Amino acid sequence: MVPAAEPARADSPKARAPLLSMRGIEKRFPGVLALSGVSLDVHAGEVLALMGENGAGKSTLMKVLGGVLEPDAGEIAIDGAPVVFDGVRSARRHGIALIHQELMLAPNLDIASNMFLGNERKRTLLQPIAREEMNRRSAALLERIGLALPPTTLVSALTTGQQQLVEVAKALSVESRVIVMDEPTSSLAAAESEQLFAIVRQLRADGIGIVYISHRMEEVLTLADRVSVMRDGRNAGELSRAEASYEKIVALMVGRELSGSYFPAKSAEKSGTVLLEVNDLLVPGAPSGVSFSARRGEILGFAGLVGSGRTELMETLFGVAPARAGGMLLEGEPFAPRRPRDAIARGVYLVPEDRKRHGLVLPMSVAENASLPSIAERARFGLVDRSGDNRLAEQEVSRLRIKTPSIQQQVITLSGGNQQKIVIGKWLAMNPKVLILDEPTRGIDVGAKAEIYRHMAELASQGIAILMVSSDMEEVIGMSDRVIVMHERRLKGVLTRAELTQERIASLMTGQLEAGATAAS
Amino acid sequence: MFAALVVACVVLGISNPDFVGQSNVVNTLRQISMLGIFSLGSAFVIITGGIDLSVGSMIGLTGVIIAKVSSHESGGLGHSLAFGIAVALGVALLIGLVQGLLITRLKLQPFIVTLGGMLLIRGVSQTVVEGATLSLGRSPLLRLANGGLGSIHGDPLIPYPVLMFLAAIAIATYLLHFSVFGRYVYAIGGNRDAAEYSGIDVRKVETLTYVISAGLAGVAGITYAAYIGQMSQQVGVAYELYAIAAVVLGGCSLRGGEGTVLGIVIGSAMMRVIDNGINMFQIPYEDRDGIPRLWRLNPNWTFIIVGAVILLAVVLDQVVHLVQAARRLRAAPPSRAPVEAPPTRVPQ
Repeated sequence: MVPAAEPARADSPKARAPLLSMRGIEKRFPGVLALSGVSLDVHAGEVLALMGENGAGKSTLMKVLGGVLEPDAGEIAIDGAPVVFDGVRSARRHGIALIHQELMLAPNLDIASNMFLGNERKRTLLQPIAREEMNRRSAALLERIGLALPPTTLVSALTTGQQQLVEVAKALSVESRVIVMDEPTSSLAAAESEQLFAIVRQLRADGIGIVYISHRMEEVLTLADRVSVMRDGRNAGELSRAEASYEKIVALMVGRELSGSYFPAKSAEKSGTVLLEVNDLLVPGAPSGVSFSARRGEILGFAGLVGSGRTELMETLFGVAPARAGGMLLEGEPFAPRRPRDAIARGVYLVPEDRKRHGLVLPMSVAENASLPSIAERARFGLVDRSGDNRLAEQEVSRLRIKTPSIQQQVITLSGGNQQKIVIGKWLAMNPKVLILDEPTRGIDVGAKAEIYRHMAELASQGIAILMVSSDMEEVIGMSDRVIVMHERRLKGVLTRAELTQERIASLMTGQLEAGATAAS
Repeated sequence: MFAALVVACVVLGISNPDFVGQSNVVNTLRQISMLGIFSLGSAFVIITGGIDLSVGSMIGLTGVIIAKVSSHESGGLGHSLAFGIAVALGVALLIGLVQGLLITRLKLQPFIVTLGGMLLIRGVSQTVVEGATLSLGRSPLLRLANGGLGSIHGDPLIPYPVLMFLAAIAIATYLLHFSVFGRYVYAIGGNRDAAEYSGIDVRKVETLTYVISAGLAGVAGITYAAYIGQMSQQVGVAYELYAIAAVVLGGCSLRGGEGTVLGIVIGSAMMRVIDNGINMFQIPYEDRDGIPRLWRLNPNWTFIIVGAVILLAVVLDQVVHLVQAARRLRAAPPSRAPVEAPPTRVPQ
């Protein structure tokens, strides 16, 4: 190990070669550098917590470790010996086990079959599966993790927590030396979490190295021997157990000081009239209704962790998943969209979180995408008004400074930032009243980000209400007039501009603190 | 594919002058047209990313209904031909509507719904004809297939089915390439979720594609009834597969979102030219005794050849796609990570 290679490393708990060592890992996707020179050490018998905001590169790094993705540069060593993973099986052979956030179990098979899936006790493909041996071994593993269930139980009959434990047992079945757990407690009840922590501690005592990815600060602080923080595809820093504290981790996650010039200057207090009023709106899957209101010309930020229910709330506002109860008023009139068409008809538009999945028809051209929602307005006798559509596309391309060779270019060939601008552009052409932006700048380079911010400010100044979901703390603070913080699908608090600090938001969104303010104005 | 079609025609024309003979050309055009009409219908469904397996049965049922309702022969009800055609087309459109609604409202898989439809409709045809055949007798309908504009040696110069195909091409071109509806069809096939999020009435558009498919199958069914003159339960069996083959040969992807009317026309032509070419292709040679003979393709090879051509076409198509994707990846600008920030020291 070369100490110089890891400037942020606080101390070195073990002197001998680490069990697992990743050095200078680089991974590039079209248009994005997802990992840039990331290094990570895991020692036998320690729990390393890996933290970072969404999009910091944790999952990509773990996919590289699990052999799912091949790194463009960098090396991985086990016990100091370099290894190359050419696929999931080869990583598994080297003792690396990944437990994904979305559990990868086949619900239609029983526990034993799942545990040995792809690793059945047999010599050739056609031999009958050795059920007894599998059952026997499964039973032993289940006992080890304290799950008192027969191995022939169907996975579909298990609770999520039990399934999580089966995943752990599965990792143990292949004699894993490093186990990666990605947000293992995100869907567990408190008691189940406790059981999982006990198992994690036991595995640590057995000399297994554990990479523990979690957004829950409390868990990390009690469980981890070391905390490694990533930011923007790089190592942001590392903290030993003794050093780690809530504030220090947040500081590393968020990183740099907030740069004022990056965001457009804000006008003084805005006092537009209420445009959208949400009353006790029950989003499908949420435990209780939410109430808030958005004013004309206001940028209302929505902060929270992954799975805090922000996207689901936005989809309900847009009619993708109609509300189960409660109501909304738009400009004082009842507003109850049951499909996106209904919301669009009232001037409520959504720029979705996943632009490739929900925002764009990738094989179609810039012009076709930009004109899609409004095409019928310009058509005569059902005939597409091509020149009108092209004018619209040209207008949005120049307004948003979309970089494309022509408006006939397929959007699949453009960069993420330009794709995002097209999604925004198609709505700007239709005079929005309420514009919902879900993670508007995720995966977008810095220049495009600044431009999108500028347009948001301009739209707000025209009296449009903007609802912005963002996991980028700097963006939330820099852009929002008010911030609604969500935690576990509940509205946790509303912060006005004066109250906006990273710490306030972070403690609300990790569920640490109850806000003084409860409901929206 | 167009080049392949031209090459096939030239090779066949050289090998057997009869291939470009007037009667074979007229007949092949008629065959292409009858296939092309319902292939265009299938294409609407396929471009949205769906599939319609009930097309062949629909063709059969249309003919059977016309024969049953309007035939004056035994088993026929003896109503007017116009009434028969109206009933047949009405039934086809209704079935298309029901299938479309089942698929879009109940979110059933198109494959299963239209597979059920295929069997059910075939069963209805079978029940109506009672396992026998229904003759159209000397119904004026027969002129539809055999007559046409102009005349050479008693044969029509342009058979009516060709005119119907041209009309179908014109309408399909308008709908797919010039209308808002067509844009929606492609958008749904390209990305159903994005279409829904853009406010498109996805369910309505999709339902309509099944109605169009059924309707054009009905129109094709009328021409087949006229062409064959007597309907048995076997008419149209497996035609949905020919339609799918023609559509795929014409450049549509079963994933949806791709394809052009011109491509489908060429695909239909290719299917029929191959079919016809297998009968026509010949190489003259002299056997050991010096007697001139003709080497011909074994007609039993038809499916082998058709199958091979389809596989070859999709393999080539996929290779082109993969090459394009690889080129795109390489051409992607090597942009930097979002933010340039050195690793921060922990504030102590």
